[in-house]
Amino acid sequence: MGWEYSEKTKQLFMDAVHGKPGTHLGEIENPDGMGEHGSIACGDSMRFTFRVTRHPSDPAQDIITEAKYLTFGCTSAIASSEALCDIIEKGNYTPLTALKIQNSDIVDYLHGLPEQKIHCSVMGAEALEAAVFNWAQRRGVDLKKLGIDMHDQETEEGRMVCKCFSLTEPYIKRKIRELNLRTIPQITNAIKAGGGCSSCHHVPGGLQDLLDQVWGGQAAASSGLVQLPVLPAEPAPADFSPYQFAKKIEKVVDEYIRPALRADGGDVEIMDIKGTIVYCSLRGACANCMGASQTLKMMVERSLKDQVDERIRVIEA
Amino acid sequence: MSKFMKIIYLDNNATTQTAPEVFESMVPYFTEQYFNPSSMYEPARQTGQAVTAARRKIADCLGHVDPKEILFTGCATESNNTAILGAAHANPNRRHVITTTVEHPAVMEVCRELERNGCKVTYLGVDRDGKLDVREFIRALTPETLLVSIMHANNETGVIFPIDQLSRITKQTDPSIIFHTDATQTVGKLPIDLALGLPYVDLMSFSGHKLHAPKGVGVLFIRRGTRCRPYMLGGHQEDGRRAGTENVPYIIGIAKALELAMEHREQDEAKIERLRTRLENALVQKIASVQVNGKGAPRLANTLNISFHYIEGEGMLFQLSGYGICASSGSACTSGSLEPSHVLRAMKVPFTAVHGSVRFSLSRYNTEEDVDTVIEVFPQIVANLRKLSPYWDNERNTPRADALSLVQQTQT
Repeated sequence: MGWEYSEKTKQLFMDAVHGKPGTHLGEIENPDGMGEHGSIACGDSMRFTFRVTRHPSDPAQDIITEAKYLTFGCTSAIASSEALCDIIEKGNYTPLTALKIQNSDIVDYLHGLPEQKIHCSVMGAEALEAAVFNWAQRRGVDLKKLGIDMHDQETEEGRMVCKCFSLTEPYIKRKIRELNLRTIPQITNAIKAGGGCSSCHHVPGGLQDLLDQVWGGQAAASSGLVQLPVLPAEPAPADFSPYQFAKKIEKVVDEYIRPALRADGGDVEIMDIKGTIVYCSLRGACANCMGASQTLKMMVERSLKDQVDERIRVIEA
Repeated sequence: MSKFMKIIYLDNNATTQTAPEVFESMVPYFTEQYFNPSSMYEPARQTGQAVTAARRKIADCLGHVDPKEILFTGCATESNNTAILGAAHANPNRRHVITTTVEHPAVMEVCRELERNGCKVTYLGVDRDGKLDVREFIRALTPETLLVSIMHANNETGVIFPIDQLSRITKQTDPSIIFHTDATQTVGKLPIDLALGLPYVDLMSFSGHKLHAPKGVGVLFIRRGTRCRPYMLGGHQEDGRRAGTENVPYIIGIAKALELAMEHREQDEAKIERLRTRLENALVQKIASVQVNGKGAPRLANTLNISFHYIEGEGMLFQLSGYGICASSGSACTSGSLEPSHVLRAMKVPFTAVHGSVRFSLSRYNTEEDVDTVIEVFPQIVANLRKLSPYWDNERNTPRADALSLVQQTQT
């Protein structure tokens, strides 16, 4: 499966890999802030360092002037890291205003990321946050006094929900809120939780329960994904009645498909038609043929798509 | 039955003898390695590893699936309850279930409970051979359908349902529908490959005691990603999907039993089928007014469900037990309720024959001698009862000419 990366993502990655001037690969010696997120075991990890120009009297007014990263991860993880450094260096952020940078800013900067790769941008935002907390410690800034939630109790005291990626209940719940995650696949894409063995999806206290707790059971209502998608409800095309639709299919089968199959000693029986799904069974020589399901797909379905309706699906019954 | 009489055990669809190898494999986990697999010390860690190895063995026997997809339970009934209630609980947006009229009560009654809670349940009927109608099945699928639960083979008749075909049609129609099969009668008897042969089955239940492991252990296969909420809560065991300290010796036992069954499956099946055919042919040949239930359908090699018109099953079982022969019947008197077999009635087996049905189910431990003893004694057992039957013409050894009208009178 190939990911659909934006040109911007690919460009940033290539620039970084080739060490083009202006890229941010590396680690600042004696940095003012250092933060890490992820681990090799989880598939990607990032070390983010920055340097500030110190304000003579008020550390809160330090300005970040340089940012660098070391990242173990895929194309989009590297590109996300580049994007983060770029955003920060160009924005004249103080560490405190930098906390406002969200993973969505990174995604925008990259001109979008494939859904399955959203977690790369989340990693960038997390590493940045960790680095700011680290800066605050070094500079003696009390972030709590400034009203910033340091989530410091989360990993120590939280109940482990996703064992594969070591993610706790408070962390996952916070991310569900912050990133407006509404479905299990969205959680997995954003923070990887549930992406391993998947046994935490529906157990009590599992991901579905956390979603329900955060959104009060409204997650399902606001998303088509949690709700089981409803069967292809496409009825027979509006310009025919179901009866006419069936007749049309029968006609193509009788005049075109059946004679072709009979030439090889086979036959086909229509078992049922529901909406645009046609249930067929191959008979005669075709029934025992190794390529029976191929015949149905290539010959029967193709003919019906071409001659009746492109939406028709044939299922071997 | 005298205490010293040799037992001829022909009721293996009810339960089986624990294989000596299985028993042996279990013993150390009672006497030496009795530790809780969740404990931290080294001996317990070894016990934990034994459970892990057993899980892997079972996963391998079922088509090299992921061991994480194997859940240990207490019995097939628990597996069925977990599967059906768990699927319904995890998918409250859909309210329709498809099952059959011939399921084991462990599925049937759970579906009825869902019905009482507002689900719609379609019970698919079977024909006289016990077969399902695929057209009817297709018609039953709706956009509301949440779960299909259809047994792999029937416990009373041995009739095998085309689970591969039905699960494929289900998932190709709508991948969100969950497909469950109760494979209690087939695991160990039929080749089961959940990766290649049955890739569309999401949930599969079975128990140990039908395949020469002891009673008290079952398995539920949960394909990765299947939406199914557990209901046995209170512990981290089985990744929180079935709480409770692992039943270590029995888990070791069921893994060993399945391994043995797979190792010898083909020879066993051939031998068992030969014995079954010998028994079936002889009884049909020697006794008048007989019908073999499910004969026109694909059947398990070990099961013979045979009806003797105008006599009652319990009387036959009682006489059989006098010879040390163990079998069962679909008659009302043996079912524990007053209703005769729902399976045979669903197959439209006439009333006169439902009560007179006997099920012989064989295992690899049966011998030609066992079968020959039945063949020797059974014609007389039937004759004894027919002598007493108000519907039987003993002189001509046929039903009385007015038998059917007599039956109808007593029914009304």
